[in-house]
Amino acid sequence: MRTWAIRAAAGAVLAALAAGLGGCMAVKATERNYLADPIMEREDHFSKQTLAQKFFSSREGSIGGASGIGGGCGCAK
Amino acid sequence: MSGRDGFVRRAALLLLPVATVTAISPLFAGDGEMGFTNYYFTDSGANKVVTTSFNLARKLLEQTTLLLDIELDHVTVPPITAVTGASRPQRDKSQPFEKSRGQVILGMEQGIGQNLTLSASFYRSQEVDYISSSAVGTASLDMFRKNTTLTLRGQYNADKVGKILESGDVYNQNKFVYTGAADLTQVLSPTTVLDLAYDVVRLKGLLSDPYLQVSVIDSTGGTVLVDELHPDNRTRHAGTARLSQFIPSIRASLIGSYRYYWDTWSVKSHTAELKLNKYITSDLVFSVDYRYYTQTGSWFYQPDYIGSGYTESLYRTVDYKLTPFSSNNFGLSLSYTLRALGAGGGDFEFLENSSIELTYFRYFNTLDFSADIVQFAIKFSI
Repeated sequence: MRTWAIRAAAGAVLAALAAGLGGCMAVKATERNYLADPIMEREDHFSKQTLAQKFFSSREGSIGGASGIGGGCGCAK
Repeated sequence: MSGRDGFVRRAALLLLPVATVTAISPLFAGDGEMGFTNYYFTDSGANKVVTTSFNLARKLLEQTTLLLDIELDHVTVPPITAVTGASRPQRDKSQPFEKSRGQVILGMEQGIGQNLTLSASFYRSQEVDYISSSAVGTASLDMFRKNTTLTLRGQYNADKVGKILESGDVYNQNKFVYTGAADLTQVLSPTTVLDLAYDVVRLKGLLSDPYLQVSVIDSTGGTVLVDELHPDNRTRHAGTARLSQFIPSIRASLIGSYRYYWDTWSVKSHTAELKLNKYITSDLVFSVDYRYYTQTGSWFYQPDYIGSGYTESLYRTVDYKLTPFSSNNFGLSLSYTLRALGAGGGDFEFLENSSIELTYFRYFNTLDFSADIVQFAIKFSI
């Protein structure tokens, strides 16, 4: 239970730090050409699993932690 | 099905969507994105999967986008032998087991003002021994002049897990999945983005594989085969941090991520991944990727199950996903933008922001399992 609380607190601190950085390190819209480049791999409209994630989720014991949708893997386990 | 029929079916599954997408793409000309992905998988256990996926994001109004995704899989599992513990029916076990799966996701994304986006999707997946239905809701809020994005997601799944019996009938049992997820994306500089994510997944119902059987040594010293038995509930947690860095001097991006996972079955895992994307020319991108994964086993996994209790109510498993192991995955990818074809205008103008991508993965783990995955994707901006 204590470990759980420490992890939750660490996550909250990281989130607060990131949000705080957002307030003081604002990057203007005109300075975001590099961030919008396709090789930065920002997510597209679909929150379904990518095919690589689909493979890992059928071969490893710890799915979750990334966007994913749906059951039924259409896979050979 | 003969080998030739199987080949023809797989070839049709691969080629038909390409032809369809190419034919209909001018009809959707406007504001949106359309993609087509093909995926071929084979592993050291002689399993084969061919997947074809089509997706469309089409702007209907200024802030309203329609989302559609269709996916078809064809799976071939080899005959059961003494050395395989494949997840497949015992029926006709000397023959390969083949099945198809269809999946549809239909959704709507709605912008509200400048900074809030809401979306809702419905999901349906069907195969002969598995049916899944799901509803997903997502809210995404941009803050601090769009330098910070907070995304919250909730999802409910109601699945029917089937088992094909010797008679050919299918026996179904229920599985329910509840998911909550939060994702915080932070722009740190004109070239750097940090992404932090956490999700929790609660599962209830049939959580074991209905086909897998455990060999139990009973009190007489004899061996008995019994179905797997797992607890009927499980809670999974995962936290992920990802840093994406653009490197202007070499026109490349470096993306590193780390993920920690833990659950109520005592499985814990660490995943680290590093990917480099590099422009070779202004239209050609080369990517190389390495992923390392390691996990512990579940509290009820044992190499041997001895005692008559394991033929009754004691939990038992032969699922290797609940045993300790590590894996390595190497990926190579080439992506080519069709800018030159679209630059001439006319009928091919829609190709200007389109791309094709070829990816190869080599996966191997400490359980002597390996797999090769080839993926081919076409993405159209329409």
